[in-house]
Amino acid sequence: MAEENNDVITKLVVTSSDTVLPIDAAMKIYESSTDIVIKETCFGTMVTGPREAVNKVVKEIVDLDKNHIFVKERGFPPGDDRRCRASRGGGSRPGFYFLKEEAMMLPMIGKALDKYDKHVPLKEIEHKKKLEVKDLQDIVESSL
Amino acid sequence: MNDEAVVKVALVSCGSEYAGVHGELESVASSVNAKLVYPEIEIDILDDIGKDFGIEAASPDLRLMMARSKAVVEGLSDVDGVFITSCFRCAEAAIVRNEVRRYINKHSELPVISYSFTERTTAATLLTRMEALTTIARRRHLLAREKQSGLTAGIDSGSTTTKAVIMRDNEIIGSGWVPTIKVIDSATEAFNQALEEAGVKQEDIQAIGTTGYGRFLIGEHFGAKLIQEEITVNSKGAVYLADTQKGHATVIDIGGMDNKAISVDDGIPGMFTMGGICAGASGRFLDMTAKRLGVDITELGALAVKGMEQNVDMNSYCIVFGIQSLVNSLAKGSTPEDVAAAACHSVVEQIFEQQLQEVDVKEPLILVGGSSLIEGVPKALGELLHINVLVPPNSHLIGAVGSALLASGYVEE
Amino acid sequence: MAKVIIYPTNSLILSDLVQRFGHTPLAMMEKIKEKVTTVGVDSPPMNITAEEPKHGLKYAAVEVPAGVRGRMAIVGPMIEEAEAGIIVGESPMAFGCMGCARTNELTKYLIRSREMPLLELEFPKDDDEGQEFVYRIAEFLKSLDEVKGESEEATE
Repeated sequence: MAEENNDVITKLVVTSSDTVLPIDAAMKIYESSTDIVIKETCFGTMVTGPREAVNKVVKEIVDLDKNHIFVKERGFPPGDDRRCRASRGGGSRPGFYFLKEEAMMLPMIGKALDKYDKHVPLKEIEHKKKLEVKDLQDIVESSL
Repeated sequence: MNDEAVVKVALVSCGSEYAGVHGELESVASSVNAKLVYPEIEIDILDDIGKDFGIEAASPDLRLMMARSKAVVEGLSDVDGVFITSCFRCAEAAIVRNEVRRYINKHSELPVISYSFTERTTAATLLTRMEALTTIARRRHLLAREKQSGLTAGIDSGSTTTKAVIMRDNEIIGSGWVPTIKVIDSATEAFNQALEEAGVKQEDIQAIGTTGYGRFLIGEHFGAKLIQEEITVNSKGAVYLADTQKGHATVIDIGGMDNKAISVDDGIPGMFTMGGICAGASGRFLDMTAKRLGVDITELGALAVKGMEQNVDMNSYCIVFGIQSLVNSLAKGSTPEDVAAAACHSVVEQIFEQQLQEVDVKEPLILVGGSSLIEGVPKALGELLHINVLVPPNSHLIGAVGSALLASGYVEE
Repeated sequence: MAKVIIYPTNSLILSDLVQRFGHTPLAMMEKIKEKVTTVGVDSPPMNITAEEPKHGLKYAAVEVPAGVRGRMAIVGPMIEEAEAGIIVGESPMAFGCMGCARTNELTKYLIRSREMPLLELEFPKDDDEGQEFVYRIAEFLKSLDEVKGESEEATE
């Protein structure tokens, strides 16, 4: 039992939804559990608490718009001194930049998940190939 | 020291958090009342930083280093000094680290320290470096002092020898030099020698400055006004003794246990490196050589200048194996002169390979420390670097003179 | 359910997709959590001490920088634990855990060296590529159920 209590996790919930706003997600958490602490950040909501409770509430949030709400676990609890911007003298934590990069891809991933659910067939994508030397030669000659 | 203002040191690093040394960095910073900060950057600049800065490093964290150094130079991040550090043995990081250091040196007045760590790097190893960095940031006015005034003393409690000087009105009026046995006893002895030669009493001394390994202990014992690491003190002492206080200079100090190579601007240390892992690159190597040759250390230099290092095969810089090589050479018929020259060359070559690579050597090159008195050493260094090596008078008293000079800043206060 | 190592090891998208399609992502975050919540170790920020680079010697020689070995002490056991892997081509923006190109080379090599199902692809740049990205990952993860199901049957 004690062990269970010690198993506190933090999950980061990133919404990329037209219908569910981060605040909706937050409200959902507020109404669902007392064991849970949440913190809203630029890129999502951090949910901290006992593993079971966090998983349960996170699932409820994701179900609001499942293809457009994304989740990953987070190593540090929110506001941890060792990683907190304030105590680090300004600079963001290293993981922030990549998270931002990925957050920008989420609308694209969300759309793709919708299509996958609806069994929309995959388009043939033509991946660019390297220019053949012969073709390059033709270009060079034609521009002489 | 901790009643002084907190110094903000920008940490421009790659790998420290994963090498287990980050806690050491934090701990050494707080011991000198400094705070490590991570310069804030505009995230967009990361896209093009490789091309903007000019090095398209494969490692993102190295690109972050470049971006952070840019933020420091452009004043986006308000800091007093910069600590640049990355993993030892990483070639990619070494390139970036060096260029970032040069870039900050060129475009700002901030003191910079660069260091490559292993997992064995401890706060103790970093202390002198961080102390020097914060001193330069904190006490620029003190370092601007060019003349000694009043009656002051400087004591340099080194690992091998303890030196003391008494200075009055910009002149050395007494000096003492003894082997370090017990830190306080040896310092007292050296100090008394100096006092006696100067013909003054301890209570007449207006301010005392201490430096060297034993600086804290003897500083407290003698009630020193200034307790300062060797980088700052020796830079100041070197340009003072060599009378080159304005402009660039490079100071090389070959001590009994470690070496320093310091690039100095207007008497203020900029980039520096410290050795200290290998005895083969220290004065101790020369001491051992002298013993094996059966001569006094003071005679080794005169022998060395008469010898040809090329006549001796040395296959190791190591104080054990290298000296074995020298002994073997003697057995094969090499002259003591050649062996002495080879020993000087070996020490100098190792300093060149391990330390001078990170310091831009600019003339005048001032050689100080006890080893500078062994004539073969400046000769070998000059030959290796193809420049004229300056050994100022009293070069072996460098730390004591620098301390006495800087301590006189407290006389008027 | 299979344990799937993801690369980049801290990816939100990959971690989410693996979980979404019913498997367990092996990602850096959980390992960092283990580190930072270790009681009695005080080596900020991540409680990585000089011991980790030594443990990393299992994956990289002593001549490999300490930062690489320290990271490998965390990533290495994850690779060993994995039953499948997804590698998505280099993202220039991955710092911290993913900030060292040398570690990343070694990580990918060790994942590829394991005889296990592996999917390699690139991060998408537009919607069409995004669709292909998600489809390929989804199909790959579904195929793991089949493979796993078969092997479990075989052992029964």
